[in-house]
Amino acid sequence: METAGSKAIEVTDLTVAYQDKPVLWDIDLDVPPGVLLSIVGPNGAGKTTLIKAILGLVRPAAGKVLIYDKPYEAQRRIVGYVPQRGSVDWDFPTNVLDVVMMGRYGALGWVRRSGRRERDLAMQALEKVGMEAYATRQISQLSGGQQQRVFLARALVQDATVYLMDEPFQGVDATTERAIVTLLQELRANGKTVVVVHHDLQTVTDYFDWVMLLNIRRIASGPVDETFTPDNLRETYGGRLAFMQTDK
Amino acid sequence: MENLSTLIHLDYTLMIVAIGAALLGTVSGALGTYAVLRRQSLLGDAISHAALPGIAIAFLLTGSKTPLILVLGAAIAGWLGTLLIMSIVRLTRIKYDSALAIVLSTFFGFGLVLHTLIQRTGNANQAGLDTFLFGQAATILERDVLTIGILGGIALIVMLVFWKELKLLVFDEGFAASIGLPIRTLDVLLTSLLVIAIVLGLQAVGAVLMSAMLVAPAVAARQWTNRLRLMVFLAACFGALAGMSGTIISSTASRIPTGPTIVLCATVIVGISITFAPNRGLVWDRIRQQRHRRNLKMETSRY
Repeated sequence: METAGSKAIEVTDLTVAYQDKPVLWDIDLDVPPGVLLSIVGPNGAGKTTLIKAILGLVRPAAGKVLIYDKPYEAQRRIVGYVPQRGSVDWDFPTNVLDVVMMGRYGALGWVRRSGRRERDLAMQALEKVGMEAYATRQISQLSGGQQQRVFLARALVQDATVYLMDEPFQGVDATTERAIVTLLQELRANGKTVVVVHHDLQTVTDYFDWVMLLNIRRIASGPVDETFTPDNLRETYGGRLAFMQTDK
Repeated sequence: MENLSTLIHLDYTLMIVAIGAALLGTVSGALGTYAVLRRQSLLGDAISHAALPGIAIAFLLTGSKTPLILVLGAAIAGWLGTLLIMSIVRLTRIKYDSALAIVLSTFFGFGLVLHTLIQRTGNANQAGLDTFLFGQAATILERDVLTIGILGGIALIVMLVFWKELKLLVFDEGFAASIGLPIRTLDVLLTSLLVIAIVLGLQAVGAVLMSAMLVAPAVAARQWTNRLRLMVFLAACFGALAGMSGTIISSTASRIPTGPTIVLCATVIVGISITFAPNRGLVWDRIRQQRHRRNLKMETSRY
């Protein structure tokens, strides 16, 4: 599966359009194995759509996506996904442990129920995100940061090689943010590839080693120190960059 | 002596009716839970209205009033209506609620026209078709109970077999798709189960109010529990209770349509649940707010 020189994710000429409006235009992206990559860009740049296109959740108008040289359908079991926290109804009648166990459904296959093994894996994942005390908590009683950690735990029990996360830092408190960063870096240390849609330009250099600048087109992608330049940022955000100091 | 035998006979009829209504409430309560959690409460309304022309067409084609045939006609029409709604949303820029309204009223109007035509022909066999509008539990016979039991049982078994897949579909469709669950197929499966629950209820509850049998038990059940398993179970129980009490009440007096009576019974259950359920109930809410306010007052007065 993991051959030398193969890319964790390879996106070629990807174009996605909703009705007649292009959301992503002719995207090329190579993600080498074992990097922590952030996708940044202004609102409406197509960040979420790119993640969804890699996962086969939206149908591209053109182009293709490979995960370790194979189409996504063949590689589902090595890909973990953290959707945006706001994409689900947190008043759904279930508890934390149950949501985390949903991460095993892919490996379990049709009809089979989760058992003790799934429960144990879910508890381990909850420990990793510091939420083991909340296992039986109803999910509507969680704070935003706790919801986010539950989603991360669910992705962890998927035991994937490649992780795609949509805004895991959205609306979380400082403690949770630090916990998530530690977790991401641990994943990378274990050889996983992690792609994160990110909003906060200030933290890109601290948290990530690779970055992709996106605004419908790919502006640039590569190691942070080469790619995260004032010129590239200006091209990505246009004139709307006054709030940010790029010379730090 | 004669009195006694009519009494026994009456009781037997009533028992059949009550069993049928209870089964029906169980099935629609359990499956309605999914519709409520997916915020598709109105889909049930569209399906039940869309089923009406199916009954008329099935009767016109076969000349028979066998429940299985009429139910089949209703199911096909209800299904086509749902499919049409989904296609309209996917292929045009018309929004879900508008598509729902268009299909619901068109199919229902067509159904009413057909039913009127059938009545005009003076076919001696036609009496009873209009019970599908508001429901008439008194018309439930043993064979109807059998139909409800078998088809409803199959629907519930399918729901239990695909329990975790359906749960994930309802909670997090995007994640479900990412692990390879066929979202569209599951969607069609869930809708088909709803169609079954609805057409089974048409005879007793009627097209106009059937959606209440899907929504009310689930809404009431949600008040009492935070677990999906328990919610489905409670909704089934509430459905059975509403169905049974509604039919018995409407059977005791002649010419009271059953649908409205059942719906009123379901409403009472919803009312009690919304008011008194622990944690989510209004009374509980009020008590909690007052306690909270008192605590705040005590804390702030200390300084």
